[in-house]
Amino acid sequence: MPPASDLALLVPELWLAALGLVLLGVDLFVGEQNKRTVGWVAVGGLLLALVPTWGLAGAVHRPGTTVFFGSYAVDGFAVFFKFLAIIATTLVILASMDYFRASGDRQGSTQRFEGEFYTLLVFTGLGLVLMAASADLILVALSIEFVSLTSYVLAAYLKGNPKSNEAGLKYFLFGAAASAVMFYGFSLLYGLTGSTSLYVIAEKVATVPAPALTVSLALMLAGFGFKISMVPFHQWTPDVYEGAPTPVAAFLSVGSKAAGFAVLLRVVAVAIAPSGLDYVTLIAGLSAVSMFVGNLLALPQRNIKRMLAYSSISHAGFILIGVAAFGGAFGNTGLLIYLFAYMFFTLGAFFIAALIEARLGSDDIPDYAGLSQRAPGLAFLMALFMLSLTGIPPTAGFFAKFYIFAAAIERSPALLWLVAVGVVNSVISLYYYVNVIRTMYLLPPQDPARIQEPAVLRTALWVTGAATLLLGLYPQPLITFARAAALLLP
Amino acid sequence: MELALFIPFAALALAGGLGVIASGRAIHSALSLLLVLSSLAVLYLLLGAQFIAVLQVIIYAGAIVVLFLFVIMLLHMATGEPAARGVRPWRAGATVAAALFFAALLSAVIRTRATADLGVAPAVGFGTAEAVGRTLFTRFLLPFELASVILLVGIIGAVVLAKGSLTLRVHAESRAADEAEEPREEALTR
Repeated sequence: MPPASDLALLVPELWLAALGLVLLGVDLFVGEQNKRTVGWVAVGGLLLALVPTWGLAGAVHRPGTTVFFGSYAVDGFAVFFKFLAIIATTLVILASMDYFRASGDRQGSTQRFEGEFYTLLVFTGLGLVLMAASADLILVALSIEFVSLTSYVLAAYLKGNPKSNEAGLKYFLFGAAASAVMFYGFSLLYGLTGSTSLYVIAEKVATVPAPALTVSLALMLAGFGFKISMVPFHQWTPDVYEGAPTPVAAFLSVGSKAAGFAVLLRVVAVAIAPSGLDYVTLIAGLSAVSMFVGNLLALPQRNIKRMLAYSSISHAGFILIGVAAFGGAFGNTGLLIYLFAYMFFTLGAFFIAALIEARLGSDDIPDYAGLSQRAPGLAFLMALFMLSLTGIPPTAGFFAKFYIFAAAIERSPALLWLVAVGVVNSVISLYYYVNVIRTMYLLPPQDPARIQEPAVLRTALWVTGAATLLLGLYPQPLITFARAAALLLP
Repeated sequence: MELALFIPFAALALAGGLGVIASGRAIHSALSLLLVLSSLAVLYLLLGAQFIAVLQVIIYAGAIVVLFLFVIMLLHMATGEPAARGVRPWRAGATVAAALFFAALLSAVIRTRATADLGVAPAVGFGTAEAVGRTLFTRFLLPFELASVILLVGIIGAVVLAKGSLTLRVHAESRAADEAEEPREEALTR
């Protein structure tokens, strides 16, 4: 039996699982019109989950610390992603509460199973936490399936909307195929090393013949690539983001992407890197292709959610620079900082899209015309998020890109070309991000009526906006935190 | 002895696998899958994983294929109409990609055989129900518990997606107001 002290290190996970069950119970006793209560309980519970997570942050910093027979990591890296997952889930639930109410007001209907929606979001949050901390191939597989399963349901949640159904089905079919391929890769890795524990694999992987290991890595990358929407496993992204409820699209773009990167980095850095296999070239190539494909396809988009989806693909490319630069002084830190900053401004942009969609019933960028007069606060925040997505100072996006480019430059001169590609792509992306700002500020509104901003969604928006600015202006605490979390290998 | 069993059942599994993707009718595919799963059970036995082999027969070949058959019966109640074929260029592309992947896999396997010693004999008692249970509740306790949470979430998801009518519940008053203007998509209840 594992010692009881192992359980003490699992308090955040146990808390989240218990919270999910409590929400199911609360949902039973809450009337159809008051389902937001479930959301509030979820938000409260998630915020409380930060307390034991904070306790862990102080207690465990030794990299490679695992519990439950080496299957679960409780190192600083895992703790960092616990914070990220919990914060993202909280913000998404806050946004969902008003999204459903505002869409309901417009359509004269209420969302069915609203209580279960919050429950599923909390469980997905738990899945993200588990993904980032899994140190065993079986646990990696299970937690990825866990997150996928809830995501399929969440994407198809608007049952009356054919686009949402399509999103759910497409996501499911792509996800199932990607998972099957990835599990094949896992089984090869297990067969080659005789263990499912990443840290045991790390000891044995040097003796594994390179061709077999390459095939295994390629197969695993298909699964991870699907989760982080990396080219060539990105095809689902625009359709799913467009059809899914907008807060869910935000969650997929931030939550499962971040957890996917955590798994990718842990598997590659811990289990594959000791073999001496040249994975850096492969990752760098995929990174460059993702940036180009994402950015070039984002240029002609008229629908804000599709545009953000392609932007999300290109950002996956940027973050992959951090994976390629892993092992240098900045690589891992750069990746963590990027993911943390990316969370705030991407959530913010999606939340505004959610609000506009709920109020106007449209996702088209031309309908954002004159937003600066109809809702000055919203327009300002959206402009901030767009600048941050481009990477213009003084926003968090600039600082994140700065760190990730610095990581690549510092790691190896062979990655300089990748930095050049990244810079070129930042310039390309400026075009379609600034196009949104131009539409909001320079074009006249078609309908001058003010847009009502629901209170809770506004809170979520201001939190993301404030974080976007603060992280850009005063990044030092985040740097310190990410440094402590970034040490991955024993 | 081992080879004499391995070759026919491996061939059967392969033939079944081809049958799953090549047959035009879903019901034939499901029955081919049954062949794959039962042949795999024999291969598990050869590997010394007796408990897994039994589970394979009971759960996969038994329960899951039967479930497939029920679903196919419900969806194509009349004749089991043939599934739509993929677009031709895509099929050609997929064939090329699969062939390339197979070549890569084959070369990896051949080169691995030449260099690595993979013949590890299983320990005494390996593959019995007791050994599997012991591993499940010690080494793999956390994944085991996680699986139960996944099942719970799966149930919630299935209820959400499948229960009730296709649609949003419409407020009585706004429905009355809207019906005059246009037929609502949301009102398409079963």
